[in-house]
Amino acid sequence: MAVKKKAQIAVTFNWVYILIAGAVILLFFIGIVVKQKSISEENLATDVVRVMESIFTGAGVSEKTKNFVDISGLADYTLFFGCSEGVTEYGISGKGKPVQNNIDPIFAPLELKDTVLVLWSLPYKLPFKVIDFTFVSSRKSKIYLMGNTPFINEFINATSGFDNIEKINDVSEIDPARNYQFKIVDFSGGQFISQGIPSALSDVDDNKVTAVVFTGQDQVDYYQKEGQMWKKKNKLPVRIISLGGERDSARFATIFAGDDKTYVCSMGKAFLRLRYLLEVYQSKLTEMKEFYETDPQLMAGDCYNYISDQGYEVNVESSLRSLKNRLDACLVNFPISYDYCTEMVGAAEKLREANANLAERGDCLTLY
Amino acid sequence: MKKKNLCPRKRKGQMQMTETIAVLFIFFILILFGIMFYYKYQGVAFKEKQEELLGARAMDTTLKVLFLPEISCTKGEAEPEDNCFDMMKLRHANETFKKYITKYYFNLFSYSRIYVQEVYPEQTQYILYDKEIPFLEDGTKGWEKKEPTFFTVTLKDESKSAIIPHYGFGYVVVEVYS
Repeated sequence: MAVKKKAQIAVTFNWVYILIAGAVILLFFIGIVVKQKSISEENLATDVVRVMESIFTGAGVSEKTKNFVDISGLADYTLFFGCSEGVTEYGISGKGKPVQNNIDPIFAPLELKDTVLVLWSLPYKLPFKVIDFTFVSSRKSKIYLMGNTPFINEFINATSGFDNIEKINDVSEIDPARNYQFKIVDFSGGQFISQGIPSALSDVDDNKVTAVVFTGQDQVDYYQKEGQMWKKKNKLPVRIISLGGERDSARFATIFAGDDKTYVCSMGKAFLRLRYLLEVYQSKLTEMKEFYETDPQLMAGDCYNYISDQGYEVNVESSLRSLKNRLDACLVNFPISYDYCTEMVGAAEKLREANANLAERGDCLTLY
Repeated sequence: MKKKNLCPRKRKGQMQMTETIAVLFIFFILILFGIMFYYKYQGVAFKEKQEELLGARAMDTTLKVLFLPEISCTKGEAEPEDNCFDMMKLRHANETFKKYITKYYFNLFSYSRIYVQEVYPEQTQYILYDKEIPFLEDGTKGWEKKEPTFFTVTLKDESKSAIIPHYGFGYVVVEVYS
């Protein structure tokens, strides 16, 4: 009987031993799998933002091209974009390390969640090309345009293929469908703001409903949903600093930017690049002047008069100097000094005029 | 009789113990092999990833250089000329790049060397940007690998004639360090 009991204990002990050992081994492998899963997710996030960085580089330099990037693998993740103190930061919310970029002006919603990323770039000119603006959007980021201005048609034609832009006559026409976020862009003064949030969007999360209102020819206000009301985000109107005309990238950027702060921040990047670019153009101007100054006959001609500040009233040299001075004032305490940047427009227009005069003659060197 | 019965049992128990130890030993050896294999694989994968990243950086930097407004050819409000550098800008761009290297251009080109080799009409070399990874504390150079990429470009020089610009050609070399 005693022998039987001992054997029973031995057999039970063996099974307990096997179970414990098995459980430990199983836990070990489960631990490895869990660890690998989190590492893979971190790697995926890092890879994705790295690929996005490359895509943005490509999209940023290939002017006026539209890129539709399939990100269906990231359908469950939220991409975020932000810009402060001249640095754009983007990545996957809560995963991996975000990318920081202090060169390229990227205009994007603050958050994105979709299967297709829409990228578009347009050159920013003041008056010569300064940098390419990259616009980021997605199919489920719906943009409603309201008002009667030729710019709406220009915008719709320029963004054909985006499939997220719609012209409406009234906010009551809004149908949220299965979109992720909504932006109302109004060119008629923003009367809908006083009526509160459109009923179709009343149940949507506050951070997914925004509005941009053009309050003048060159200024906008940004709004954000707060309960059933609109909350204005900017204290002073956000000025559009551009020379106007078709495909005005600074004007387009106001629509794609997440809010007033990211817009001004990205514009700051363009102005900083302009500062360095102006030095190169200043050197080119010196070489142009030397070219004409070597020959007294050339120096007496129209070309030199359009170039030198000793010549005609509208000339390249003084316009360039004026642009530089105004840019310095604009950047002295950026972004607080952002409103001073509007003064660059006049100087840039004069520079464009002087350059056009040179080009018109056909036998003159042009600055750009 | 009892003693005779106990001896084989003890031996059997000893054998079982040795068997368990042998199994455990082999198990741990296998685990060790697995860890060594994984470690080696990780090392190789890391090197491959580094090379891939270096290649991608070389391509990105080349792309940026080809579309740099500081050197590209422009024609008023018209589209800029593709793969064309304006010599009147090119000759001075390096001064600006050098002046603002830490403030701005390092963020654009990182550790790299960028130069334009003129092939026709002259053979001048224009170094646009040069930032090597600093030497290590022991005096050895800070980089292991250099990935060069080449791209043919036209070189427009208006300083020779205002009416018809002179077009030369050359190639831009972008070397990125890792």
